[in-house]
Amino acid sequence: MEKQFDSEPAENVTREELTSVMTALEPDQIISTKDHHHCPRRQLTRTEMILFWALRIYLVFMVGVVVYQIWTGVR
Amino acid sequence: MKEPKTSPEQQVAVAPRSNLRNDPAPSVSNVVITHEDIDRAHDRELVSATRARRGFRPRLRLFWLLIGPGILVMLGENDGPSMLSYAATGARFGIGFFLPFVVLTFLMACVVQEMTVRLGAATHRGHAELIFDRFGPFWGWFSMIDLMVGNFLTLVTEFIAIRAGLGFFGVPPWIAVLGALLVLSVALMTHRYWTWERIILGAAMFNLVFVPVALLSHPHWEAVNRSLLTWRPLPGGITQETVLVLLADIGATVTPWMLFFQQSAIADKGLTTRDIRFGRVDTVLGAALATVAALATMLATAPLFLHHMSTANFEAAEFAQALQPFIGHWGAALFALGIFEAGMVAAITISTSSAYAFGEVARRPHSLNLPFRQGRSFYLVLLFEAAAAAGLVLIPGIPLVYIVLLVNVIAVLAMPPALLFLYMLVNDREIMGDLISPLWANVLALGVVIVLIGAGLLFGISVIAPNALALVGGR
Repeated sequence: MEKQFDSEPAENVTREELTSVMTALEPDQIISTKDHHHCPRRQLTRTEMILFWALRIYLVFMVGVVVYQIWTGVR
Repeated sequence: MKEPKTSPEQQVAVAPRSNLRNDPAPSVSNVVITHEDIDRAHDRELVSATRARRGFRPRLRLFWLLIGPGILVMLGENDGPSMLSYAATGARFGIGFFLPFVVLTFLMACVVQEMTVRLGAATHRGHAELIFDRFGPFWGWFSMIDLMVGNFLTLVTEFIAIRAGLGFFGVPPWIAVLGALLVLSVALMTHRYWTWERIILGAAMFNLVFVPVALLSHPHWEAVNRSLLTWRPLPGGITQETVLVLLADIGATVTPWMLFFQQSAIADKGLTTRDIRFGRVDTVLGAALATVAALATMLATAPLFLHHMSTANFEAAEFAQALQPFIGHWGAALFALGIFEAGMVAAITISTSSAYAFGEVARRPHSLNLPFRQGRSFYLVLLFEAAAAAGLVLIPGIPLVYIVLLVNVIAVLAMPPALLFLYMLVNDREIMGDLISPLWANVLALGVVIVLIGAGLLFGISVIAPNALALVGGR
């Protein structure tokens, strides 16, 4: 599995700090254990894919409209 | 006295409690403790100890410990271009239609941001990270490009606001911009999420400076009440100009960076599912404060509408100068300071949202709890983006008014695709478990998407075929 968040270990960790981290944080909050809690990729359904593309096209088209408005405004 | 030291690579045999819905209890055999973990654990211990106590004061203290991301994101979104949009709205159209309209936009913001609270608390992950993990890099990069482009343009407008706000006091642009960059850097030196959050919260509260400014303009309270209770028609009907202002006001309350910032801040703060109720209160309180500031800004500039003053090309300093006859020098100075503060706080929160997203996607350490040496890429992205935006503002002859206009419009247009990711994530039982959105929340969220797409299309029609506005009752 791909290694995530290559954070440097803290220096001079005391036993108190170690206990504190292990008891106060939930498992997927600890940086080095994030690998164990990887969110798997999901498969998009056909409808979801159509929605994603439709909104992408909408955004590209509308940005074009904004550019057109600026162009006409500048002229 | 300190316990004997252990090596950082110490293996920990204790199996931590599991909150995961999609994973069995983790088999942690080699936990490496980082600086970020220690700081976050310290904050969580305080929360747990306070939660264990009974009574009003401990509840109040718990509230104090858990609030932050919601207020910051809402007051952060009351940024330079937003306050200028509200000021322009009040000055050009008065308050009749727009007071309740702005309340409605903040309700939409509450609906959207509540979803990020649940998502952040349930997954302990930032928004960008979740999108990449669940939908893959193809769609992840699309959302990142939307965010980065939007954030950069918005940052430019924040520095425009900073420059214009301080310009009222005669501060030269380069000093204003460099000073703002210095303040942004100093806020990062805490290397502690909690301290950073409290400093920025304190600064964000200054957004309410628009309330005394509004009071100095002696609002007509009967008209204010009538406007809020009866929602007057749009003055002048639907025109190209009113559509633009409508879109700018929507873009002043709901934007993509807010989704990324609040979810990442909740993960960085270490909130868990037990804190969701406080996260909601935090968000609603933030929205209420931001609404008050937004309405106050419109009330403050309404005298310009009543006196038929043309404000079409006003920037912040011009607004303050034009208001001086109505609210006095101190009122105008407060208005200019408010614009500066709005730009300053937003510059900090927006650049932080970019840095979080970059760290999540590039798999680099990303936390305000990190010392500079360990979170170098996080801090450098944050500072570099802010510096680039600041530099752009100093280029002579750049059309600043156009950039401000552009930014809020682009924010509205980029929201529907961002909301689709959010909607799908927050209804994903595999990562959310029982915290998926109930039916009423989904109906509200879809309502927001429909309003945003409708507003975008109306804007498109107003630009491409302005005559077609007559079909929807405009002219």
